[in-house]
Amino acid sequence: MKKDLTKVRNIGISAHIDSGKTTLTERILFFTQRIHAIHEVRGKDGVGATMDSMDLERERGITIQSAATYCTWKDYDVNIIDTPGHVDFTIEVERALRVLDGAVLILCSVGGVQSQSITVNRQMTRYKVPRIAFVNKCDRTGANPFRVTQQLRDKLDLNAIMLQLPIGLESDLQGMIDLVSMKAIYFEGDQGNEMRQTEIPPELKEEAEAKREELLDAVSMFSDELMEAMLEEGEIPEAMIHDAIRKGTLSLELTPVMIGSAYKNKGIQLLLDAVTSYLPCPTDIENTALDLNQNESEVVVSNDPADPLVALAFKLEDGRYGQLTYIRTYQGVIQKGDTIINSRTGKKAKIGRLVRMHANEMEEIDSAGAGDIVALFGIDCASGDTFCSPGLNWSMSSMHVPAPVISLAINPVDNKAQINMSKALNRFTKEDPTFKTYVDHETNETIISGMGELHLEVYIERMKREYKAEVEVGAPQVAYRETITQRAGFDYTHKKQTGGSGQYGRVAGFIEPLPEGEYEFVDQIVGGVIPREYIPSCDKGFQKSLEKGTLTGAPITGVRVAINDGSFHAVDSSDIAFQVAAIGAFKQGYAKAAPVIMEPIMKVAVEGPSEFQGSVMGSLNQRRGVIIGTFEEGNYTVVEAEMPLAEMFGYSTTLRSLTQGKAEFTMEFATYKQVPKGVADELIKAFATQKKDA
Amino acid sequence: MGYEPLVQQNPLRVLNMSRENNQLGLVMARAGLGKTALLVQIALDAILRGKNVIHVSIGETIDKTKKWYDDILSTILQGHSVTRPHELVDMVAQHRMIMTFKVAAFTRSRLEERLNDLVLQDIFRPNCLIVDGFNFDQTDREALEDLKNLMETMDMQAWFSAICHRGDDRVSPTGVPAPCHEVDDLFDMIILLKPEHDATIQLDIIRNSGELVTDGKGLRLDPTTMMIKEM
Repeated sequence: MKKDLTKVRNIGISAHIDSGKTTLTERILFFTQRIHAIHEVRGKDGVGATMDSMDLERERGITIQSAATYCTWKDYDVNIIDTPGHVDFTIEVERALRVLDGAVLILCSVGGVQSQSITVNRQMTRYKVPRIAFVNKCDRTGANPFRVTQQLRDKLDLNAIMLQLPIGLESDLQGMIDLVSMKAIYFEGDQGNEMRQTEIPPELKEEAEAKREELLDAVSMFSDELMEAMLEEGEIPEAMIHDAIRKGTLSLELTPVMIGSAYKNKGIQLLLDAVTSYLPCPTDIENTALDLNQNESEVVVSNDPADPLVALAFKLEDGRYGQLTYIRTYQGVIQKGDTIINSRTGKKAKIGRLVRMHANEMEEIDSAGAGDIVALFGIDCASGDTFCSPGLNWSMSSMHVPAPVISLAINPVDNKAQINMSKALNRFTKEDPTFKTYVDHETNETIISGMGELHLEVYIERMKREYKAEVEVGAPQVAYRETITQRAGFDYTHKKQTGGSGQYGRVAGFIEPLPEGEYEFVDQIVGGVIPREYIPSCDKGFQKSLEKGTLTGAPITGVRVAINDGSFHAVDSSDIAFQVAAIGAFKQGYAKAAPVIMEPIMKVAVEGPSEFQGSVMGSLNQRRGVIIGTFEEGNYTVVEAEMPLAEMFGYSTTLRSLTQGKAEFTMEFATYKQVPKGVADELIKAFATQKKDA
Repeated sequence: MGYEPLVQQNPLRVLNMSRENNQLGLVMARAGLGKTALLVQIALDAILRGKNVIHVSIGETIDKTKKWYDDILSTILQGHSVTRPHELVDMVAQHRMIMTFKVAAFTRSRLEERLNDLVLQDIFRPNCLIVDGFNFDQTDREALEDLKNLMETMDMQAWFSAICHRGDDRVSPTGVPAPCHEVDDLFDMIILLKPEHDATIQLDIIRNSGELVTDGKGLRLDPTTMMIKEM
């Protein structure tokens, strides 16, 4: 069976918290008849929406993990990825964007373009995802889809154009005018499932004509045919307009704006029509993989089911029946019983069960073709791995994974919690590449690190709920780093003679800054002054030294170590002797290489009413921030700044009290920068005291 | 410091322009000839002389404005070896602040309020203001005088950019094209950019420090960086 890929849509739904993503997804599933009852996100029936499958999400009313779900609309297959809205979970958003072909950007008609929409939009632009905007909550007091459309243009720099006009707004929202067909559409029946088309009400006729003109002007850019038809001033076929909108959307130069109210069941069917008409199918998008056999050269995946398989595992979930792996196929067919190879590990795996996911329920299938999103059971892999047919060694281009910037210590309360905790951590690190964990050998504490306070909090909660692992949590710590700023030489001899066989090794060379990269070892030994077999021991010793810097105990990065001289003893030299010598040598060189402390710098955007701009800037300035700029629109401003993460703890509380709760902020990791002298001195002092006490 | 090459080819250094406070400058050209790039050079020159610059972008985003600086700095750094490039980048970031306004939101009172926010809290004390995207077509003399006044009270220098339109032949007696032909007396420095056949930009000075320049002192600039083209 050859599936028609032009009838497949892989879409994401992305937005600011509380814009109604989950409600909208729920309604889509209802109208596509995947579910038969509607539950509210914060429903009184205690069931919660179908997409929020984790208890925690249900309780907080937010969506943490992106569950994939499948539905059909008319004769189209639609895969929906519900994406999280909080910026701390951006890896989830980014991962979802990687496997999607198009997206629906939901906006609240009252709140408009909020900070999170800006971040999500930036990510969508980075991954070149064509999008439709859906202005939700048009039934709410203060709803103004026109203002939101204008904000899409101003704040997100999108060529946003309304395809519909509301009939009534706020509590009076009755339906909408479709500016392409020029018909009024009303939603009737208990759950808005009966659409009624009528003529446009006379009082709106003029406005609708004007808006249609605007629409045609904007989209005629993308179709010569349409441009000609407009010049001839004859009847313009609807299909021609749809076609032009589609072209504009796919080229990312046009963003169609749809309106409605998911909660009141208005406009959902039209949005689904727009998804199928304007968003791309898998063959519209060019995806590339890296050929690992050809020095990672880029290759374009074909989308052809006849080619060998290439599929990306983008999401793992721990289910009742073991690990569930969500994959997106880019070419070839994946079939039950097939053997596939994980190109990262080179391991073979046999496909036992293949399922299509619908939130918590699943449907067994036998095969899935190119461009599809399905899930596998019982395959051991990490998120981001690529699967290929035997013979092919491709990897889907590596995803941009930021380094963790914050960490905290966790201690299990009892033995049982200890076991469950390690199970949970094992699972989380596989699922989420930005979540890392290790044991600090000095304090014997388990440290978890991630992208923000909320990111770690959610995992701690999940540990408690899903794994019954109660843990005590330490204060969050910023992930500092150390590096050197100048070249310095070393010449160190390790000698020990305390009865029995002694230890001897001498290592000389230099260390120097390595601006791009973490660590490099250069072997310049000639004439065998250090025997070959002990060179790796030196490397090992240096690497061990990098784990903890001498200033604050933070890891050292950006160092090139070169050895060019040394000596050995025929009897007393050994692997361990050279390791110890290398550690000593590094310590000696490091002290002379002007080491400095580096701290994570976050890109922060604070937005709120203009009247508070002065105090917002003041608060950022007090926290060692560098204000990059301000953006001003009417009564509303955005202040962008680069802030040290260490100064951002508790900022949300400060901001709330400064601005009567009217401003909000987002934070994203930007870079590592050297800590100013005064702060560095304090950190060094604190570390010294801590060492003395220990 | 190692920033000498930047200074040697910066047109303002060479022409000895843009030194005193309280002066008003104007860069005029047709669209796409590099007004913004030249304004960024003016800002960089001021920053290298230890001044603080506010870059007002009307109708642009912060990101786009910042990108102008990043691009021009990186082009310069590619061509010249500077000992500590990241220090230069940091220094520019610390001495520059970007303010973007919607076209309709830019007024003297708004600007004054914003500047006061910065100065009164001692967050940033600007010496030089760059105004890019100011609409001279729809501004009357009074509004400009008002802005000039503000610059004087705050003891700042300011540089504006203006687009001249193809086909608009109006010109002031001193040779300043429309739309600034009726307000040219308010400016102490006026620069005109013209394209040349060899893909360089000709910089002509119409007025410097309030004095009319008639000897045709001009410079050839590299269109990507707006630095003086090495002949």
